[in-house]
Amino acid sequence: MPFQNRPSRTRCCIVLLVGIMSLLVIILVVLAVVFAHERKEISMPLLQWKGRGTTRNLEQVILGRCYNYVTTVNPQLRDKDCQKIWETMQNAFIYKNPCNITEEDYQPLLDLASHSVPCNKSLFWSKTNDLVHRYTKTSHNFLTLEDTLLGYMADGVSWCGNPSSPGINYESCPKWNECENNPNSVYWKMASKMFAERACGVVQVMLNGSVDAGAFRNNSIFGSVEIFHLDPNKVSTVQIWLMQNIGGPQSESCTGRSITSLKNILEERTLSVSCEDNYR
Amino acid sequence: FMMNSIFLSLLVGLLFSKDYVKPTEVGGRKKWKGEGTTPNLESIVIGRCYEYIRIVNPSVGEKNCTAIWEAFKKAFINKDPCNILPLDYELFINLSVHTIPPSKSLFWENNHLLVTSYSDRSRRYMPLCDTLIGSFGDFLNWCGRANNTEFDYDSCPTTEECENNAVESFWKIASVTYAKQSSGVIYIMLNGSAIGGAYPVKSFFATYEVPNFQKDRISRIEIWVMDDIGGPDLDSCGKGTVQILEERLKTMGYDITCIDNYK
Repeated sequence: MPFQNRPSRTRCCIVLLVGIMSLLVIILVVLAVVFAHERKEISMPLLQWKGRGTTRNLEQVILGRCYNYVTTVNPQLRDKDCQKIWETMQNAFIYKNPCNITEEDYQPLLDLASHSVPCNKSLFWSKTNDLVHRYTKTSHNFLTLEDTLLGYMADGVSWCGNPSSPGINYESCPKWNECENNPNSVYWKMASKMFAERACGVVQVMLNGSVDAGAFRNNSIFGSVEIFHLDPNKVSTVQIWLMQNIGGPQSESCTGRSITSLKNILEERTLSVSCEDNYR
Repeated sequence: FMMNSIFLSLLVGLLFSKDYVKPTEVGGRKKWKGEGTTPNLESIVIGRCYEYIRIVNPSVGEKNCTAIWEAFKKAFINKDPCNILPLDYELFINLSVHTIPPSKSLFWENNHLLVTSYSDRSRRYMPLCDTLIGSFGDFLNWCGRANNTEFDYDSCPTTEECENNAVESFWKIASVTYAKQSSGVIYIMLNGSAIGGAYPVKSFFATYEVPNFQKDRISRIEIWVMDDIGGPDLDSCGKGTVQILEERLKTMGYDITCIDNYK
């Protein structure tokens, strides 16, 4: 029989050959698995939305703003840990589906970054973005949400996550009408709620008396979130400043329909209200 | 062994920690009279750089903010803080300079807040503080030490102590560069309520900016003399120091207009 008299050297060669073949098979199997896995990752798409994507270099911008704020704008907060603040902010949305963001996601960030606002200084606003912020920049008697750390860091910036790598979507982010619980909207809703909850004494609100749809809208953040989180035990009066565009239409004044509606809501919550046309 | 390695890593971490401040006080006295370097300067500055190119003025295109920061530091780190010259910032300037749209330049003296709120972060005008270069230094302070790679967080020399300090030299070269980049209609906002005159003859504007106007690229110059609201009207067009400026610019061959309390 052919095998019986095979010399040991040949057997050696066969063993070696079998060994090499098995090794090759193992390598091929491993490569196949890795390739398939990678394929799977590539085939997981970047979700596409209608709004603008995450601001590029978000981390550096947020960190820089945080440090700028606690160092030069409000040095009383110099012990805040900006690095940790950034991390809790990122953890709130990274690798998550941007339509499923909850308040719990942002709670750690709010715990770290919130701070008190002195009484009689809270200034709310609706549809008066440019004017109200020019005002607070020059008159340091009042603070809007964007003059607090949470508002300062996020103003004008956008962000959202994506379930697959790299976890952040720089191409697009959901608009409010695509899904309500997106990272930006939830952030601003929570920050606004907190800003209202912490207000005390006399609070101010700057509204736009030149807008067609009415100075007070109950689907605005002010109308849907902030007025309902003012604490009547801490806030005594709400002062409305009804501002009209210079040379613009005088759509509404302090006796207008939407202002009356706002007054009713506030009075029902046992807050007293006053209103001034074109406050100076 | 665990305890040793924990101790060692803590020590290493402390030594390399950016915020570790070595006191320069000798017997409780600070070395210089001025405020020290702004804490967290690197994070603030790099953040401002990215904020500028991504949000404020994306038209400047792609800039390497880390390289710009390194060039900025190189100008004054590890040197005698009284021997920093404007040209030490040359690499920094070359990396961060960008064009200023014609007729958007706004020069000023003694009215920083008014200028910044009027310019509206480069939406209306682009004063020096609304350029990338200006945003690096605005409201910040910095200096280094000889034979030491750290910032001096303790104190920095004032201009009275020595003129060739890091901050002064920065603004000198920034002002010169800004003036050289300006074109079209040039706007100048002065403070008509300032004591000593709206146009201080020894100011950055007078010394570093006016002499660097590029005549062949400027069509005309408009001066606005703004009084503080409720403030005194100490200087106005055709009078006092404003007249000195008007004469100076006319002699240089410029077409000048001057408006009191421009609205």
